[in-house]
Amino acid sequence: MTLPKHVYKTLEDIVGSRNISDDPAVLDSYRYSLAHTAIHLGPFYDTFTPRGAAVLLPGSTEEVQAIVKLCNKHKIKFKASSTFWSAQGYPSEENTIQLDMRRMDRILEIDEKNMFAVIEPGVIGATLQAEAMKVGLNTHIPGSGCSCSILASATSYFGSGPSNLYGGCYYENLLGIEWVMPTGDIFKIGSLGSDCGWFCGEGPGPSMKGIARGLLGSKGAMGVFTKCAIKLFAWPGPKTLPVEGIIPAYRVALPENFRAYTVAFPSWKAWADAAHLIWDTGLGYLAHRQFNMFGRDLKFAMVKILTDPTKTLGDLVELLDDPEVQRITEDSMRDFQIVLVGMTPRDIAWQEKAFDEILARTGGWKVEAMNAPEIHDWVLLYLIRLGHKNLNLVFGGSYDGCFGLLGAVDYGTTHVEETAMFKKEWEKRGAVVQAGGDCTMGPIGGQGGGGTGLWENFTCFDPHDKESVVGTLEFFDAATILGLERGWGVGMEKWNSQNRGPDGKTTPKVERDRIHIGAPQPSVFRYQGKVREAFNPNDLGDAYYETLED
Amino acid sequence: MALEDFAAEMDRCSQCSYCKWIPFDQMKSWRFAKNCPSIAYHNFNSYSARGRYAVGRSLTKGQSGYSDTVRDVVYTCLTCGSCDVSCKVCRYNLEPLEMVRELKFRLVEDGQKLDEHQALVDSLNKESNTMGSPRSERGKWADDLVLPRLSSEKVEVLFHAGCRFSYDKNLQETAKAAVSLLQKAGVNIGIMGEHEMCCGGRIYSMGYRDEFTRLAKANITTWAKAGVKTVVTSCSDGYHAFKRLYPKLGSQVNVFHTVEYLDRLIQEGKLKYRSEIPVTVTYHDPCHLGRQGEPYITWEGVEKKIKGQIIVYEPKKPRYNGAWGIYDPPRNVLRSIPGVELVEMERIREYSWCCGAGGGVREAYPEFSLWTASERIAEAMATGASALVTACPWCKSNFMDAIETLGDKMKVYDIVDLVQKAI
Amino acid sequence: MDQSRLIEIVGNAGVFSHPELSESFSLDQKLILPNMPSVLVKPRDVDEVQKIVLWANETLTPLVPVSSGEPHLRGDTIPTTPDSVIVDLSGMNRILKINRRNRLTLIEPGVTYSQLLPELRKEGLRIAMPLMPRANKSVLTSLLEREPVMSPKYQWNLLEPLRSLEIVWGSGDKFWSGSGVYRGEKEEDWELGLVPVQGPGPGQLDFYKFVSAAQGSMGIVTWASVKCEVYPDSRKLFFIPAEKLDDIIDFMYMLLRFRFGDEIFILNHACLAYILASEQDEIASLKKILPPWIAVVSITGGQILPDERIAAQEKDIQDLAQQFGLRIVPVIEGCHAGDLLQLILEPSTEPYWKLRYKGGSQEIFSLTTLDKTPGFVTTMYSAAIEHKYPIPDIGVYLQPVHQGVGCHFEFLLPFDRENQAEILRTEALFHDASHRLFKQKAYFSRPYGIWADMVYNSDARTKIVTKKMKDIFDPNHVMNPGKLCF
Repeated sequence: MTLPKHVYKTLEDIVGSRNISDDPAVLDSYRYSLAHTAIHLGPFYDTFTPRGAAVLLPGSTEEVQAIVKLCNKHKIKFKASSTFWSAQGYPSEENTIQLDMRRMDRILEIDEKNMFAVIEPGVIGATLQAEAMKVGLNTHIPGSGCSCSILASATSYFGSGPSNLYGGCYYENLLGIEWVMPTGDIFKIGSLGSDCGWFCGEGPGPSMKGIARGLLGSKGAMGVFTKCAIKLFAWPGPKTLPVEGIIPAYRVALPENFRAYTVAFPSWKAWADAAHLIWDTGLGYLAHRQFNMFGRDLKFAMVKILTDPTKTLGDLVELLDDPEVQRITEDSMRDFQIVLVGMTPRDIAWQEKAFDEILARTGGWKVEAMNAPEIHDWVLLYLIRLGHKNLNLVFGGSYDGCFGLLGAVDYGTTHVEETAMFKKEWEKRGAVVQAGGDCTMGPIGGQGGGGTGLWENFTCFDPHDKESVVGTLEFFDAATILGLERGWGVGMEKWNSQNRGPDGKTTPKVERDRIHIGAPQPSVFRYQGKVREAFNPNDLGDAYYETLED
Repeated sequence: MALEDFAAEMDRCSQCSYCKWIPFDQMKSWRFAKNCPSIAYHNFNSYSARGRYAVGRSLTKGQSGYSDTVRDVVYTCLTCGSCDVSCKVCRYNLEPLEMVRELKFRLVEDGQKLDEHQALVDSLNKESNTMGSPRSERGKWADDLVLPRLSSEKVEVLFHAGCRFSYDKNLQETAKAAVSLLQKAGVNIGIMGEHEMCCGGRIYSMGYRDEFTRLAKANITTWAKAGVKTVVTSCSDGYHAFKRLYPKLGSQVNVFHTVEYLDRLIQEGKLKYRSEIPVTVTYHDPCHLGRQGEPYITWEGVEKKIKGQIIVYEPKKPRYNGAWGIYDPPRNVLRSIPGVELVEMERIREYSWCCGAGGGVREAYPEFSLWTASERIAEAMATGASALVTACPWCKSNFMDAIETLGDKMKVYDIVDLVQKAI
Repeated sequence: MDQSRLIEIVGNAGVFSHPELSESFSLDQKLILPNMPSVLVKPRDVDEVQKIVLWANETLTPLVPVSSGEPHLRGDTIPTTPDSVIVDLSGMNRILKINRRNRLTLIEPGVTYSQLLPELRKEGLRIAMPLMPRANKSVLTSLLEREPVMSPKYQWNLLEPLRSLEIVWGSGDKFWSGSGVYRGEKEEDWELGLVPVQGPGPGQLDFYKFVSAAQGSMGIVTWASVKCEVYPDSRKLFFIPAEKLDDIIDFMYMLLRFRFGDEIFILNHACLAYILASEQDEIASLKKILPPWIAVVSITGGQILPDERIAAQEKDIQDLAQQFGLRIVPVIEGCHAGDLLQLILEPSTEPYWKLRYKGGSQEIFSLTTLDKTPGFVTTMYSAAIEHKYPIPDIGVYLQPVHQGVGCHFEFLLPFDRENQAEILRTEALFHDASHRLFKQKAYFSRPYGIWADMVYNSDARTKIVTKKMKDIFDPNHVMNPGKLCF
């Protein structure tokens, strides 16, 4: 045990003996082999995050506060996570206390009229959606899927997903917040602080919600968020999803006001034009380039596997040899998925017509094969519930996203083909899945109403295979060099490494400083440094809250 | 197999936590969204499949050692298989259920046994049953039935009562009803009586591989000698053992659960109802009949890679993900009974919540076992049904114990009980 | 004050000594002790602004940024410290860019609504607007102040449609929030998609939130990108009249839930009369004939199949209205829809509509949820009765915001600026009503004047945190001291 006995005992008194452990095997189940946000590099590097000093399961804000205050007293670092599916949720330093927020999993309120929910950190997208649907509402779900904590995504990381377009991304949907600050003080942000309820996250005056998160959240490095309110949006569908089908090919037949399409375009310019027209027109409930994550060459074959309960990955080669699969694959090269939802029959009728008009203007087409009922209904369920995001790792158990090209879609579409062909060449070396180079996935609309896109190029590899791991890292290095040469900046393949190195621990300061000084605006990190000094004086988080000291 | 054979999976686990939830597509509420009783109760990550992959990895790499906590982590796994189902919604190259079984086998092999299991182990070794009762009394439940005994006659269809039905006086009527119904329908069915031995399913799920193998081989040999071609049982644990575990050891008998037989007989018109039973019921899918009741296909093969790094198998490996379990026959039977209205719980079929009896948990962790059962009772009550129906004596008795402890009014039936009443 | 350094920065023509304070159109100004500023300085670009701020830090001179023309109603631009310098940004009034594809406009702080709207229209664009702002109101200031816009469906967060900013912090640091590093100065950047489309960040702080509703107390914003909407090829406006406010609340909720309607809000008869009347003496007669409550819904057709969209939505809204026993009509006694539509799509003509009745007007506004608004109206009216303020004069404006999660509610209390008794009565009512509404949990998210004390005294943690942030961005406290909790 690395914690002094009396400290351990005090923590035990706070949460109860059932809810604390420092057993080494238990602690090892709270470690992550990592590179980026969601994957691992395998056992061939010492990439596991440090073993925690103890893991605790707090059950209330009061317990969290007591723990944080104790940590301040004894200068012990702490790190909270809800679902532990991200490198960011793990300690970067030795002797860090880990808080598993799983027990705080209540949906405290769903305000049906004003369309928001108040939740604790353990609430995942799926359960909130299920409850919200009962009252005709829906929640945005992050791209990592409905298994993830909504609060964590909204307060502490990014929060972009397929329903940004209509539902808003979590940045936009975050309302009042209850925050146990790094010092243990409780900060109720927005209308909550004025005891006026949860409905508004801004103000009074200049909005201090801006400390809780910016474009990104503090990734667990600045205290613990214990409750928040999340804006919801309309769900004009059944109270529960009438799911049919044999696992894993679940599907849902929804009423006529729900339509899912895969559309494709003759050029990237046309693709971007269509995105803009969709945003201008204000139609669409969800829009995402989702299945392309399997790769340009493999995606339709994978859809055939996933929608057929008798098929496995072992059927992939046979499917790829099928001329019809090849034709459809070619047809859907530059594609994305969109779900249209009409609030009324007239609404859906108009949206359908307007969407057809957009396709006509841009030369786009609906990929008819994706309209086959069992596939259509599978796509609808997949995108609405977003409960299959473990498919990110379907091939070999590991993936990471590279490039990114975050920004206006003209930016992404200008460069996506180059990044794809670059990757395709590297795929030939065998270290990563040969998927056709273009494995980019991302939202059509990075925020509510559209306007931006993200092009995460999926790089799938086997974390148990040393050559695969080494080859993937070599590719990522090459991708970064290309990105810097082209002026795109460092891509997603390295987003984690400015916080944490390949030894699982905090990236050395000298390296972090180099990265921050080289950023377009180093002062961003200087201000973050000042905020950390002001609100986390004992520095009990880790370098996931990125700072640059003067 | 050995735990080290799962080293690749330990690295390839997505760490997505899907193993802690029913398939998300099927979630209808916050209340009934969880699938794995052990993590739902204990909450630490180590109590999930994902966590057990990590614990297994830690142990095999020598990064940690055995402790009371590690024993709890491993032995509180009910081996219900719900993690396996949820994982395989997306993954095609992980076998979490196999892994957790292997983890238990390893602990037993390394002497990390639970004292609480010893009584059952001893009973099996001495009396060939899990109930701590004399072997000589095993056949007494059928004393007043006229049935061929396989010790003296060759019968092709064997009714295997199972330990629970054989000895538990609260449940014996169900066994009698089952075999009588089949007889009435013209099935030439016999029993082993006092020569029947435990199927070994329970001890297998507790981690005792050798004991299971001994029992299984003994049963296979005995059946072969007796000319048994088909085994029918009302115990889902036994069903799973015979259907899924025995073929690896050379068994070639056909295996049916009583409900499968009843379903066929009712559809063929060989069983006719005489009475109405006006009751609203909900059906609990036993783990070993449902998601673990899929047809078994022998496979020997190797892993290979296509397209660089996609992991597949040569030859193609059968996939067990709960898709083809026995779900419809019991429902068909229930719907066929006049007056019975079937309403479904939220967690059903391949994503059903475990009753809490399996894996040695009932014996070693009674509070947790009771909690698991009471969660299911709560779910049953939420449907508005007045009775919970199942097709396994372990499920039934665990539910009955929970109801008694909680003072609930819900009734529990074996499906055979209702059919018998109606006939 | 030695003005030589300022003259060096902005030139002789940019420095004005002893500028007059705006006339007091609103009472809250009386509650802040005004200090006459010694100098007004008019910078021409961000570099001059930065130099002014750096100078202010050296000399510890308070700065009060102003972008809009007069009248200023809320007191945020009235100095509370002696020897303050007004930084008048109205001369920085360039529309730097309008980009149809990305639907962005880049503007300087002096750009007003009357200046911007026609330019946007030429490009097929418009902007989500507040209800009839003053013609000389700075667009950027309105957005920074979090003035509610009429179209809640486009408000993905409360700061929309504001996006990236260029800020000179109170410390003198120049900074770009959001994706403001893409200044869009090169045409090829627009083609390549290197555009300032994002609001939040960069990084893990949300910098533009710190200047939002800050009353110029954190820094000076010198440039902003603003998200636009398409200019619809056709539109229609409807009224939903009602005797009681309660009768239209649930209907409004349905519109908000389905995001039907573009501009949607609720007025009482007095407020609508103030908007419609072009002459003071029209107001009394309008008040008599207009329905007590009016929900206003305008439908836009966009640029793809606009007529079909309008037809579909009109029928759907009609169906919804019927479900609640309401009617949607293009005419109410006293007003045609077309007339109101013309008015709300433009800034207010002179005199500013809020001042038309009596020359002066005190606003009380706050945030809440729509369902609570009838209760606040009752409280306001009760207070009015006690203070003998005529209820028929009270204008009520309810504006759903943030796609319906919240609702801005606003009471207008017209008063005669020449009548001391009215001034005193209105002042007393303002005080009393503000406190009552506050106790009733009205959320004064934009805490001007006395509201600041109310709010910050009851939310100690926010006060502490806000002050700490002030210390970071304006360490010498030169930016508009005395406002908020500073």
